[in-house]
Amino acid sequence: MTNDTKDLVEQVRGGTSQRVRAAARLMSLIENFPERIPEFLVGAADWPEARMVIGLTGPPGCGKSVLADRLITALRTRSPDSCIGVIAVDPSSPFTGGAFLGDRLRMMRHAGDPNVFIRSAATRGHIGGLVLGVKAFIRVLGLAGCRTVLIETVGVGQNETEIVNVADFVVVAIAPGNGDAIQLLKCGLMEVGDIFVVNKADCDGAAQLYAQLLAVLRLNANGQKTGMPETCLVSALQRRGIEKLVDLFEKRAAGSEQVWQARRRQTMVDEVKAAVLEEARQRLSRVLGTGPIATQDLSRILRGEVTVTGFVDELIQKMTGSREDKKNYGQAG
Amino acid sequence: MGKSKPSDVAIEGIPPVSEQEETKRIPERVLIGKVGLDGHDRGAKYVAHILRDAGYEVIYTGIRRTPKQIVETAIQEDVAVIGLSLLSGAHKRLLKQVMDLLKDRGAIDIVVVAGGSIPSSDIPVLKAMGIAEVFTPGVSSQSILEALASLLKARRQAA
Ligand SMILES: Nc1nc2c(ncn2[C@@H]2O[C@H](COP(=O)(O)OP(=O)(O)OP(=O)(O)O)[C@@H](O)[C@H]2O)c(=O)[nH]1
Ligand SMILES: [Mg+2]
Repeated sequence: MTNDTKDLVEQVRGGTSQRVRAAARLMSLIENFPERIPEFLVGAADWPEARMVIGLTGPPGCGKSVLADRLITALRTRSPDSCIGVIAVDPSSPFTGGAFLGDRLRMMRHAGDPNVFIRSAATRGHIGGLVLGVKAFIRVLGLAGCRTVLIETVGVGQNETEIVNVADFVVVAIAPGNGDAIQLLKCGLMEVGDIFVVNKADCDGAAQLYAQLLAVLRLNANGQKTGMPETCLVSALQRRGIEKLVDLFEKRAAGSEQVWQARRRQTMVDEVKAAVLEEARQRLSRVLGTGPIATQDLSRILRGEVTVTGFVDELIQKMTGSREDKKNYGQAG
Repeated sequence: MGKSKPSDVAIEGIPPVSEQEETKRIPERVLIGKVGLDGHDRGAKYVAHILRDAGYEVIYTGIRRTPKQIVETAIQEDVAVIGLSLLSGAHKRLLKQVMDLLKDRGAIDIVVVAGGSIPSSDIPVLKAMGIAEVFTPGVSSQSILEALASLLKARRQAA
């Protein structure tokens, strides 16, 4: 770890008045310089860790953020002295790179609670429903004293299932109004859920959706012999069913601390792999260059003068030939 | 909004995708919100969308927030800019509170800008307080973006 990060880490660990600021800065370093993620994962070996990392996923608009808000309240009431960290991910625009991070708006009642640390993050092109570096984020929240970390993924469509390897268990939320249970669960959600929640119980169609959910899960459980996942019907809006859901969390957490921490170590390599691939992609695209020159170069493939594999070989050769393109890309200013 | 396509042809001043790749900049994070009692958030939402379309990551905090909520959120989110919309007439008091809290938290490097129905006679007072820029009704999106870009450039150079 470099000295700037070490200073920040000590400020967080030491519980100084700059604790929150320093933790937030560490998270910015992680998201701005993905190539430094492994540095954090290695350096974090002796940091305190969260007891429970909860994943919360589901289709856009099913009520994940409102549910997160209610869960924060419930968890805070149960353990008034314990800190909660939240990572709320929303998509970046693939066209402008900008993002409207709206999850936090639903949780604003907790702004000013010193025991709640909420961080919004934009995907910045990362595929999988989370951000590159989320595991390092979790470690920083642990260092800042968070015993529970709640992660809200982007609204999922297809293949946004990375949460499985990041959270200790995953809550899948669905809601009426977005199709039947089969449609809602076919985009990989079925496989990732440990707990299934039907939200918006106050709306028409919720009971029906819940019945469908149970039927689908039962069918699936018979095929797989893994037993039925837990289910819950809630209304985040009217705060109904929240306590029962938190009971399910606590039941899972009891006695699982060691197993979960061991599993987090095992899946750490996934994040390192993602960081490696991102670094490789960035380096190759720098060698490829931009504008007319790159276009001309690539046109050789279209004219059949070189194959894609041959072209990539050339790029790699160029890259290793000119190693002065060190580390100053991507920096602001 | 949503008018740009993934294309190598420059559209309305947006550089082609391949060029964006090369000059990849870290997106700056901005908090947009409202303090005070009025509930009109059209201006704040408009600015939030302009900024998002210009490549900023916007944390939108909604209406009727207290200065403390704004400052704590800004710190947790590690934003570079706080943009506050004020229409209630209490702008001097509320912005003073925001600036004082930022000072307390050792976070005066965060750029604070304000917008809304602020009489021009108050602008010097607000600037003396440390508000970097004040946008009055009718300001063009272009001017907002330019002002913000130059404030952020100065901030990066100071870092
Ligand atoms: N009737 C009803 N509406 C709800 C409930 N929970 C959430 N909503 C509404 O559903 C809409 C979306 O809620 P969010 O919490 O933002 O949904 P989300 O899943 O976080 O959305 P994304 O993050 O965009 O994927 C909002 O208008 C909420 O007020 C509920 O239990 N009942
Ligand atoms: Mg949300």
